[in-house]
Amino acid sequence: MSAVWPVSRAAVRRRRVQTVVIGVVVLLSTTMIVVALGLLAASSGPFDQAYARQSGAHLVASYDPSKVSDSQLTTSASAAKAYAGPFAMATLDLGSNGKFGEPQSLVTVGRADPGGPVDRLNVWKGRWAAKTGEIVLNRNPTASDGFGAPTLGSTMNAAGQTLTIVGFAYSVSQSADAWVAPAQMTSFKPTATQMLYRFAQAATNEQVSAGQAAVTSGLPSGALVGTQSYLGLRALATGEPNTFVPFLMVFGWLGLAVAVLIVANVVSGAVVSGFKHIGVLKALGFTPTQVMAVYLTMISIPAIIGCAGGTVLGNVLAESLLTRAFENYGADGVTVPIWVDVAVVLGVPLLVALSALLPSLRARSLSAAEAISAGSAPRAGRGLRVQRWLSGTRLPRSVSLGLGLPFARPARTALTLAAVVLGVTSVTLAVGLGKSLMTYQTAASRVDAVDVSLFARPTDGGPAPNDPQAPPAPKLSDAADEALIRSTAGAVSVTASANLPMRLAGTSTDLQVSFYRGDFEQLGYRILHGRWFDGPGQVVVSERFLRQRGLAVGDTITLQSEGKSVRAQIVGKAMYNSGDEVLSNWQTLALVAPSLRASLYEINVKPGTDLDAFVQAVQKGDPGLIRTEGQDAGTFVAIVLATVVLLTLMLGTVAALGVFNTVILNTRERRRDLGMLKSIGMTPSQVTIMVVTSMAALGAVGGVLGIPLGIVAHRLVVPAMANGAQVEIPAFMLHVYPWSLLALLILAGILIAAAGAYFPARSAAHTTIAKVLHNE
Amino acid sequence: MTEDLGNEQAVVRLTDVRKEYGESVALSGVSLEIHAGEAVAVMGPSGSGKSTLLSMVAGLDRPTSGAVVVHGDDLGSLNERGLALFRRRRIGMIFQFFNLLDDLSALDNVALAAQLTGTSAPHARKRAFELFEELGIGDRRNTYPAQLSGGERQRVAVARALMNRPAILLADEPTGALDTRAGEQVMDLLLDLNQIGHTLLLVTHDQQLATRCASRVIDFVDGQIAGERSLERTA
Repeated sequence: MSAVWPVSRAAVRRRRVQTVVIGVVVLLSTTMIVVALGLLAASSGPFDQAYARQSGAHLVASYDPSKVSDSQLTTSASAAKAYAGPFAMATLDLGSNGKFGEPQSLVTVGRADPGGPVDRLNVWKGRWAAKTGEIVLNRNPTASDGFGAPTLGSTMNAAGQTLTIVGFAYSVSQSADAWVAPAQMTSFKPTATQMLYRFAQAATNEQVSAGQAAVTSGLPSGALVGTQSYLGLRALATGEPNTFVPFLMVFGWLGLAVAVLIVANVVSGAVVSGFKHIGVLKALGFTPTQVMAVYLTMISIPAIIGCAGGTVLGNVLAESLLTRAFENYGADGVTVPIWVDVAVVLGVPLLVALSALLPSLRARSLSAAEAISAGSAPRAGRGLRVQRWLSGTRLPRSVSLGLGLPFARPARTALTLAAVVLGVTSVTLAVGLGKSLMTYQTAASRVDAVDVSLFARPTDGGPAPNDPQAPPAPKLSDAADEALIRSTAGAVSVTASANLPMRLAGTSTDLQVSFYRGDFEQLGYRILHGRWFDGPGQVVVSERFLRQRGLAVGDTITLQSEGKSVRAQIVGKAMYNSGDEVLSNWQTLALVAPSLRASLYEINVKPGTDLDAFVQAVQKGDPGLIRTEGQDAGTFVAIVLATVVLLTLMLGTVAALGVFNTVILNTRERRRDLGMLKSIGMTPSQVTIMVVTSMAALGAVGGVLGIPLGIVAHRLVVPAMANGAQVEIPAFMLHVYPWSLLALLILAGILIAAAGAYFPARSAAHTTIAKVLHNE
Repeated sequence: MTEDLGNEQAVVRLTDVRKEYGESVALSGVSLEIHAGEAVAVMGPSGSGKSTLLSMVAGLDRPTSGAVVVHGDDLGSLNERGLALFRRRRIGMIFQFFNLLDDLSALDNVALAAQLTGTSAPHARKRAFELFEELGIGDRRNTYPAQLSGGERQRVAVARALMNRPAILLADEPTGALDTRAGEQVMDLLLDLNQIGHTLLLVTHDQQLATRCASRVIDFVDGQIAGERSLERTA
């Protein structure tokens, strides 16, 4: 095979542009595939590893000690594979931290030691709490020690007692905010009992629910006050990377498909245009297999280099995304699994080589005499009827000739068309994805849903803020402020709201509960299931809230704040992103914090109302009402959109490179024809028009074929992304392709094709023709 | 047929033309005139610069220095588009390997030249058909190049060259790829064309073609004119 290498190397040098095109296309598609597979494979890895290391709890449950005894809990827990507890639990009120509306609380559990069969805590700094007056805080080892963060040895006041922080531990199960010695717990008057379970089967919500049913069967009714499934925590951890996976996978495969088409095209072109070359090689004594090896090697060189570069780049990008997503799990430096790299490094060049195999086999089977004579013998024309019909039309001759060119090489045309189709499919998918995401984000973030937002500093509870920049307190009472706003000229609807940090019983995650009164149906929230609240003890939550906690509309939850609890039924699901935000009404607020005043008034005004004048009129009545900015779209969608735009540009470029490559093959093959056309007076611009027209026609057809494929891909990818992101996208947000947009998308096909064809067409138009015509 | 410039007026005038391709000199100090109605043969060994000379006259290539004036057009002053228009209107080219488009019928290959000038397809085809009849290949008009014999292909190429009534016909080894019989037919055709007034510039190795068709022979050696002789045609 020693003769194969120099000939292959020479072939690579001779086709520099095509070699670069193949290398770049393989690099881009490999990058996308590595990132997608890396995210897919590793997206739950860090969480699962951390969970396994700590023997994390599949279910964290809290019980009402007044209804169930510790011995009952221990007996029923034998249905689990392993359990820890019962542990006394209390929510310690830390009072205000000097910021309005942010009283802090600590879900604190009394545990004698950090080990045990379930939720083996990692005490990464200091030691475990051994006696009264000591506390261990739950903190991630990778969390930064920001200004004001508690330090080892410092003290804190909780529930009227001074506690010394003797250690920091980390619970992946998020079983508590802090732990104290059991003896200490008695003085806190525990309000709940915590049990931590591991089940034999816990891969699905159904299995966790079955496990929960088993460990709670036989317990008194109402004993269980709250649960936290590890699947919710897992979903929370994997949400961001899982959002990227669907579209990265689709774009990656589209890219690879385009790469395969381009390679097949290049090798076919090299074989067809290199008949004489093949004949010479065979005449020199190359075996048929060696000839085939020349063509496979020629294509494998850029494919291997592109694949290697793409794998490295993909690893860098995937690792940065994974590290960002899993920084909370101590998963610094999460890497793409080695099998992904191995599969890609072996698979992509193999795929590329396979796409080159068929034309290479043709080169292998060609007889030397046939190959040598093929270079000078006239070839039979193709697409003759079309050519004849076109020559009789009124179209300019350069255009009609251009329209006929694709019919001369049907196989090459089909490959190029497929590349354009995939390009248009990508653009269609990306445009639809962008529109759906923007529509969703606008609706979910309630961008521009209200005209004016006025902030009122809470005045009840806690000391006045230390911050000299703090806004002035409102002059009027809550009710008077609302009446003032309603009576101001122009006001149409007014919604007052107050926020209260609360805890879901049985969990240690903070929730922000917004309590509304007034015209809350005008706030721009879209109810996806169920209804708005209409009485006390009712809440509306997001899809993400439900998914992360394994809950459904109709379920009842217990919310806790400052030692008070309220049971609330989930009566509806609204469209918004946060998984930690709960919506409720003023009647429910009255059950937990009746003295809290509204901190925000959201107002819609009559069309044409001068907003500045409106605000001034309100502030004349109460200067303590401060205008605030409305909602804006979040950054995550912006990141996804930027990624989508980038990938679309990349795939559009890749498709254009496919056209570019075809035009290079066509113009090289037709050098003699182009020279002749110029010799009889075709101008360079006419040559350019002819060549660009030949591809623009393909672009139009590609547009027509690619759009339906893009729409189908959109219908598959958007719901998959929504699923990954734990949000629900209503069906109407998938209808994002009006006719005007479809027409523009056909133009995208033409643009891709024309952009790919323009430069080689110009180059062909300006080649010196004297040599072409005389050196036969 | 051609625009009448008078027999005394030079249709082609080359003045001290030099053409270099990198280090090698293809033409050096070439000056010559070809008058309307003349049939001139350029002869010489391979690499002597014959084809380069033809490219200069056809406006397919530009001289490194010197001037080429054809039918009053100074080719050095024309841009790419100007040269294309010049070739379209003033030049008819016949190649050794015919250079027909395989995907077009014989008739469409010929009509194409007129269509480039803006002539409508029906008119171009009508004119092409007339030429096919004149050249004796009327019955082959709807066949494709691959189905034609070498002589027929060259006749189609001649028809295409004549399509726009050029000022001069340039032929580069027009019989080089033909068998003896087909070569004879093409020689007769070129002779006839010259006799009805077409100016002809031939590049050939073929002494028989030169003596039969040309009234003047210019010998080229190493890119320079080595000699010039007038001939009595042997037809």
